[in-house]
Amino acid sequence: MLKVTDLGYWYDRQANSLFEHVNLNFESGTSYAIVGQSGSGKTTFLSLLAGLDKPRAGKIEINGEPINELGLTTYRRSQVAIVFQSYNLLTYMSPLNNLMTAMAITNAKHRGDRDYARSVLRKLGLSDQQMTKNVQRLSGGQQQRVAIARTMVCDAPLVVADEPTGNLDETNTKDVIAQFQKIAHEQHKCVIIVTHEPDVAAACDHAYRLAEHQFKKEA
Amino acid sequence: MNFFKRAWLNLTAKWGRSVLLVLVTSAIMLFVLAGLLIRNAANTATSNAKKSVGATITLSANREAAFKKMRQQTTSSSNKQQRPKLTTTPVKLSDAKQIAKLKNVASYNASVSTSANAKSFDAISTSSSGGMGGQTMGGMSSNGDILISGVTATSAVTSFSNNSSKITKGRGITASDAGTNNVVIESELAKQDKLSVGDTIKLKGTTGKKTTYTMKIVGIYKAASSASTEQGPGATDPANSVYTSYTFANTVKGSKYKNTADSVTFTLSNPAKASSVTAAGKRLISTSKYSLSSDDSSYQTVKASMNNVKSFADKIVWLVAIAGTIILALIIILMVRERRYEIGVLLSLGEARWKIVAQFFAEMVMVLVVSLVLAGFGGKFVGNKLGQQLISQQTTTTATTTIGSTNQQPGGGNGQAPSGNPGGSGQPSGNQTGGSARHGHQMTKGATADQSQLNIDVTLLDLVELGGFGLAIMFLSIMIASGGILRLQPKKVLID
Ligand SMILES: Nc1ncnc2c1ncn2[C@@H]1O[C@H](COP(=O)(O)OP(=O)(O)OP(=O)(O)O)[C@@H](O)[C@H]1O
Ligand SMILES: [Mg+2]
Repeated sequence: MLKVTDLGYWYDRQANSLFEHVNLNFESGTSYAIVGQSGSGKTTFLSLLAGLDKPRAGKIEINGEPINELGLTTYRRSQVAIVFQSYNLLTYMSPLNNLMTAMAITNAKHRGDRDYARSVLRKLGLSDQQMTKNVQRLSGGQQQRVAIARTMVCDAPLVVADEPTGNLDETNTKDVIAQFQKIAHEQHKCVIIVTHEPDVAAACDHAYRLAEHQFKKEA
Repeated sequence: MNFFKRAWLNLTAKWGRSVLLVLVTSAIMLFVLAGLLIRNAANTATSNAKKSVGATITLSANREAAFKKMRQQTTSSSNKQQRPKLTTTPVKLSDAKQIAKLKNVASYNASVSTSANAKSFDAISTSSSGGMGGQTMGGMSSNGDILISGVTATSAVTSFSNNSSKITKGRGITASDAGTNNVVIESELAKQDKLSVGDTIKLKGTTGKKTTYTMKIVGIYKAASSASTEQGPGATDPANSVYTSYTFANTVKGSKYKNTADSVTFTLSNPAKASSVTAAGKRLISTSKYSLSSDDSSYQTVKASMNNVKSFADKIVWLVAIAGTIILALIIILMVRERRYEIGVLLSLGEARWKIVAQFFAEMVMVLVVSLVLAGFGGKFVGNKLGQQLISQQTTTTATTTIGSTNQQPGGGNGQAPSGNPGGSGQPSGNQTGGSARHGHQMTKGATADQSQLNIDVTLLDLVELGGFGLAIMFLSIMIASGGILRLQPKKVLID
């Protein structure tokens, strides 16, 4: 579904490229973990997949179409949902309005459907009262669940997450990982998670390690 | 319209910031409103003044050409002993009627001056301090002691139209008095000779057969008290001036003056058209015999001074608008920086950049709407203060101009101030607004003595105009600040 061909990236004023000649395939209904040392370029790689930045070399295709031809804004709007370590919610809104806004922007099937948004948040363990207060009054785990709920209500077939459990405790981590598996297997989406935690990597269907400028499949 | 909802959510969630924005915007809007109010007041005053000052054009004998002819006679004549004669041609009424038919000519007034001697009553004699009063200083032998002003209608005579002379009893001369011996006399003369409306008086011609005319008094007028200062030596007292129909004055002058006038004054319905009417009129007459000159000087002065006030007010409006745009643009630029994270989140969701700009604009428009209401209330207060200031300035100015008016040239040029310095730098009051209004009033003095009430009130139209300015300011500010949104890289914001 998502095909990476001959991908390369380096920052200006850096001697070496972070990675070069990367060829990978990501399929729907599957979860992938990306691990690697700090500073190896995992986040950079993910930002390319998310359409937040342009590769220096190579190309990324979604369902056979190069994403730069689709337009990165359109690509982000229609194809990708992003979860970050820092949640990236709209801080002046309630969880419910965050979901409503995301559905409106991405033109999701359920846009405008408050009850649907409520039911998704409820499934992720938020109470009706928590849904309507400002997101900043929620705990980190609750905020991350709102961010995950946001990927679920949008129709994007690709979900990318950068250390989504980085700020969470063990229970919350397990919970969040379980949700990502559900998204991959029940919603039949392609889920790509960058993580440090072996537990998280182990929970995914496949894992890749970024080392020495190349991605290698883990056993 | 999702960005509209986001705008609303953002404003209500961060209400403290919203209140501050409303206050800043209200202050800016209030300044713009003050400028608009001054400008509108100046506009009203200008159109009022234009209506009241009016402009005239005058058809009379071409004295310049006549003098030239006389000089030619002197040089060409072999007989140096013979004195050359100045021959001017009286204006033909048929010419005048042609001009009166032109566009923008409202009415016309023929005037014929002559004199006759009082027969059945006594003229007022001035034998005062000068020692020369009442004496006829040589020259024309035809001077009588009663000065006859033959007119089409007294209401069209400048001294009556600007209220320096007033009909106190009976009525003035009108067009229907043509062909009659009706007369309007001055109140002092009436008092001295115990004459009143309905009485008859007798006048005796000074030339030819010295005919005696029986006149019927139809009205009594009071001349301006200051009129005596205008009299030169040898002139008869102003109270000896009587008004009759121009036909009567022509009769006194002699039969060859029938259907003529010394001069004909045309009142224009639109003073701005003075020069074009003059040009059109000149095509209808023989310019070697007659001259047609326009007197729109008072209109021009009013226009010039009002333009000063207007350009001053315009400058206020623009200065405040530009300053407001800069201030708001800076605030919005700061706001954009503060909200980089939010913008990044929206961009990562795939929101179009222009919709994010539109959200910011929508927020500012919502702020603007509240600010307009506040500025509207504040404007009422500011308007009242301004009005008071303007009126008090005018009162003092009226006094000044009255004192100075005796030596005022017909052109009225002394009211013209260098533009660009409407405040009058040395003014003790120092108030620019007052200063500018002062000029305006100085110009319209006399003609507009009772228009000192500059109408300063906040109307719905003012608010609509203010809203337009506000929208433009907001739009420009957002455009200036939007560079930050359009250039923002979501990756930098979200990942670093
Ligand atoms: N904007 C940037 N400009 C220049 N160099 C950068 C920039 N962002 C990251 N880098 C460098 O690129 C390298 C890879 O960064 P990246 O954030 O992709 O690593 P990472 O694998 O996600 O690390 P971590 O596991 O600590 O999150 C690092 O050495 C970092 O210093
Ligand atoms: Mg990283």
